[in-house]
Amino acid sequence: MSAEAVAGPPRSLYLHLPFCARRCPYCDFAILVGGESLREPYVAAVLRELDSLSPAARRGAPLRSLYLGGGTPSLLPPPLLERLLVAVRQRFGLAPGAEVTLEANPEGITPGLVRDWLSLGINRLSLGVQSLDDPTLRWLGRNHDAAAAEAALATARAAGVGNLSCDLIFAVPSRPASSFGASLSRLLCFQPEHVSCYELTVEPGTELGRDVARRRRPAPSEGDFLEQRRLAREMLAQAGLRRYEISNYARPGHESRHNLNYWQGGAYLAAGCGAHGLLDRDSALALGWELAPETVGVRYWNLRAASTYVARVRSEGQGRRGWEPITAAQHRLELLACGLRLGRGTRLGGAAQLARARQLSALGLIRLRGDRAVATERGQEVLDRVTLELAAAG
Amino acid sequence: MVPRPIARIRNFSIIAHIDHGKSTLADRLLELTGTVSPRELTEQMLDTLDLERERGITIKAQAVRMLYRSREGLEYELNLIDTPGHVDFAYEVSRALAAGEGAVLVVDATQGIEAQTLANVYKALEQGLEIVPVVNKIDLPQAEPELVRAEIERVIGIPAAQSILASAKTGEGVDLVLEAIVHQLPPPSGDPEAPLRALIFDCKYDPYRGVVVYVRVRDGRLRVGTQIRMMATQGTYTVDEVGTFRPQMTVTEELSAGEVGYLIASIRNVRDSKVGDTITELSRPAPEPLPGYRQVSPMVWAGLFPVDSDEYQSLKEALERLQLNDTALTFQPETSVALGFGFRCGFLGLLHMEIVQERLEREFQLSLITTAPSVAYRVRLRGGRALEVDNPDQLPDPGSIESIEEPRVKVEIVVPKQHLGSVMDLCQERRGEFQQLEYQSPGEGTVLHYEMPLGEIIHDFYDQLKSRSRGYASMDYTLSGYRPEQLVKLDVLVAGTRVDALSIIVHREQAGRQGRRLAERLRQVIPRQLFEVPIQAAVGGKVIARETVPALRKDVLAKCYGGDITRKRKLLEKQREGKQRMKRVGSVEIPQEAFMAVLSLER
Repeated sequence: MSAEAVAGPPRSLYLHLPFCARRCPYCDFAILVGGESLREPYVAAVLRELDSLSPAARRGAPLRSLYLGGGTPSLLPPPLLERLLVAVRQRFGLAPGAEVTLEANPEGITPGLVRDWLSLGINRLSLGVQSLDDPTLRWLGRNHDAAAAEAALATARAAGVGNLSCDLIFAVPSRPASSFGASLSRLLCFQPEHVSCYELTVEPGTELGRDVARRRRPAPSEGDFLEQRRLAREMLAQAGLRRYEISNYARPGHESRHNLNYWQGGAYLAAGCGAHGLLDRDSALALGWELAPETVGVRYWNLRAASTYVARVRSEGQGRRGWEPITAAQHRLELLACGLRLGRGTRLGGAAQLARARQLSALGLIRLRGDRAVATERGQEVLDRVTLELAAAG
Repeated sequence: MVPRPIARIRNFSIIAHIDHGKSTLADRLLELTGTVSPRELTEQMLDTLDLERERGITIKAQAVRMLYRSREGLEYELNLIDTPGHVDFAYEVSRALAAGEGAVLVVDATQGIEAQTLANVYKALEQGLEIVPVVNKIDLPQAEPELVRAEIERVIGIPAAQSILASAKTGEGVDLVLEAIVHQLPPPSGDPEAPLRALIFDCKYDPYRGVVVYVRVRDGRLRVGTQIRMMATQGTYTVDEVGTFRPQMTVTEELSAGEVGYLIASIRNVRDSKVGDTITELSRPAPEPLPGYRQVSPMVWAGLFPVDSDEYQSLKEALERLQLNDTALTFQPETSVALGFGFRCGFLGLLHMEIVQERLEREFQLSLITTAPSVAYRVRLRGGRALEVDNPDQLPDPGSIESIEEPRVKVEIVVPKQHLGSVMDLCQERRGEFQQLEYQSPGEGTVLHYEMPLGEIIHDFYDQLKSRSRGYASMDYTLSGYRPEQLVKLDVLVAGTRVDALSIIVHREQAGRQGRRLAERLRQVIPRQLFEVPIQAAVGGKVIARETVPALRKDVLAKCYGGDITRKRKLLEKQREGKQRMKRVGSVEIPQEAFMAVLSLER
């Protein structure tokens, strides 16, 4: 893969399905609570947007990954999901063995539903477990309790989901490392192929953000973060899941193909409200962009609110809010920032960057293998600063 | 044009404290005399620099000629000579005052007389000027005009009834001010036939015409072709043009005794036209110059460094440009290990320094790091050699020093009784020596006299004075001499490396306290790095204070998908720019504020 240009054609597609039963207090995603009457029109709008993106499809290059994210995509009735999957197959095609992920919340998962998903071709389930500790789930304001989450895990496994990913949140204030550890070991009983561990992040503009700003709730502590992150790495490693990105762990061969493509700078298509896509230069030209010669790719993003997105697609055939041309220098910076988050690290370029990397290596923050830099455990904890150091020397 | 009889000329200045309404009054005078039409009148006509208008202070003196028909129907020529309004420019004020026969004293009806105003009034009285007191801002609800009138009588001795009550804002009473100027101020004296003597009270550099010299002709005449000599600098020139300010420069045939105007004479450099110097005629020189000239020299020095080292040349050019109009500014190249190439600049005082710094950043778009200001110390070395040190980093090795003398000033502080205690405490902390306390009976005001080291007042003394007196105290100071003291250099080490630009000179007895405060302050302004950063304060190699900036513990985002990637990149681009504004000392990045940290040691 050349570091100079966004690699195309796009072989990944992200579909954003914003519907949720409620908004969690820490969430700042583009979601829509309720909106039952908008589900059909929304899916119709996504199909139209896919039409508008189909010139980027290339003969002989079907999708290697499809990701249905949200929101809570599992809330969408199977017939609507089917319409989406059929449309994707028609317009872009799915390569044999393509990774097809559906994000789901534990509540309301039944064996019948899971079987429907599997029969639609969904082969990877990403379950929003978040925790298997009831006080933690209450603190997070989640809709389910630990028992419901365990039931969902059991149901998914029993129905034959062979590639199961679970999200966990750690460093929740006032919950000790031991309860996170207990949560994690109960989760490991279900032998998930993939686990994403995110520390609780307080986003401004969320209910949690306001509570923390007004000191009604404590902010997550750095100490908890450091302790629980190391605990997660040890426990997951013991269970055979390797950390391949700052927050992601997988059994070998079960790393998320879709997400790896993001982090390695490959092109991807995206549709739905609030979705971000990255196009290689040729695809962008095929879609009608006029580009300056130095542009190596295009990033575009859609309107965030589901209703305005639907209205815009109806009137214009697509729901974009903005886009930007990407230069080679910008692309390199993105590759550096994403690449350093990966277990395999990233290639560095230039004498100045290598010199700075040697200083960082002496501080125990990265390991250098030739011109490839890999962040150490300590380096990962302060990775944004490490990235800045290398970026400033690049 | 028939020359105006000298009896119909009045030359005067306005004395006022900052914000007491000098500029507004000047605007009303210009308007009422029809010198500028209300349409042309941008607020505060006399303050031409943006900075002056924003801060409400006058940096450079200006002059303007007005024609006024008095109530009995006679036309007068009024020359208003504006004075700079800050303690840093005391000498310039005295020369501007010397160019007239009188002064209008403006006092805010809600504030009363302030220390600097008083100092300037005394200057005016010493020079035999007549004073027209004006109690301004009487339109404000909290105005106490009668109290202020009484204060003027008590402090200056002008009967209360003579103070004009006015509001420059509404225009009320401004006509009375004009009448008083005409009737209470004397006309100029002087002999148009005597040998030429003209006082230089200001000058400015015009890129097309060279130096424009602002003069008040005392005796004789100035006209095109006159061969002139500057009596102090000895420069000789031929006059190319003379004229008056109306308020634009307007050519006239001559300037004769009593008149105020300008001359242009192919003078290249403002340094050749020194404020206070006397111009005479080459062929018929005056036997004696006008009194009061002195060489102006900087009191405060600081290093100015470009944030971006590529801007060194631009900084040099900008300083040269500013110097064209600012005789008081001096600079010479300086090299710092921490800050790279820059200039050691000399200023009249802290305000002057701030103004220069702001003009460099605003008018020349430069980003600067300024080091803590210092005074000039007289250092006597063993073996008899003596030198002046205005840069703490260049203080010689203590072993070689016989003695260090520091400049001292006489400080006069006007403060209401209820804040007297806290102001005296402040003076004490700053090594002040109490001299005298005057009660302005029966009022609330007191005048405190202290003698103290100049080095102690150039940091945040003025701010402290204001905050400890709830804004009521005001001050003025004059240099009183040098005195040997137990002074030492306080060095700062960041991660084991001495940072030359952070060294300061302090009194031995205060070194411990200052060192602890400086280290503490630096710990607050130096951001966490990827490793632990020790900060040490040391005197003569002995560490007297130590603080530690702990290493960064967590700095990483949990998620990096879709839109996060763009956000992350944009943040990196911004942070990368921010990093370039930091200075690297060894492996530590130090933000600009750190170099000024010494200034805020009291907070």
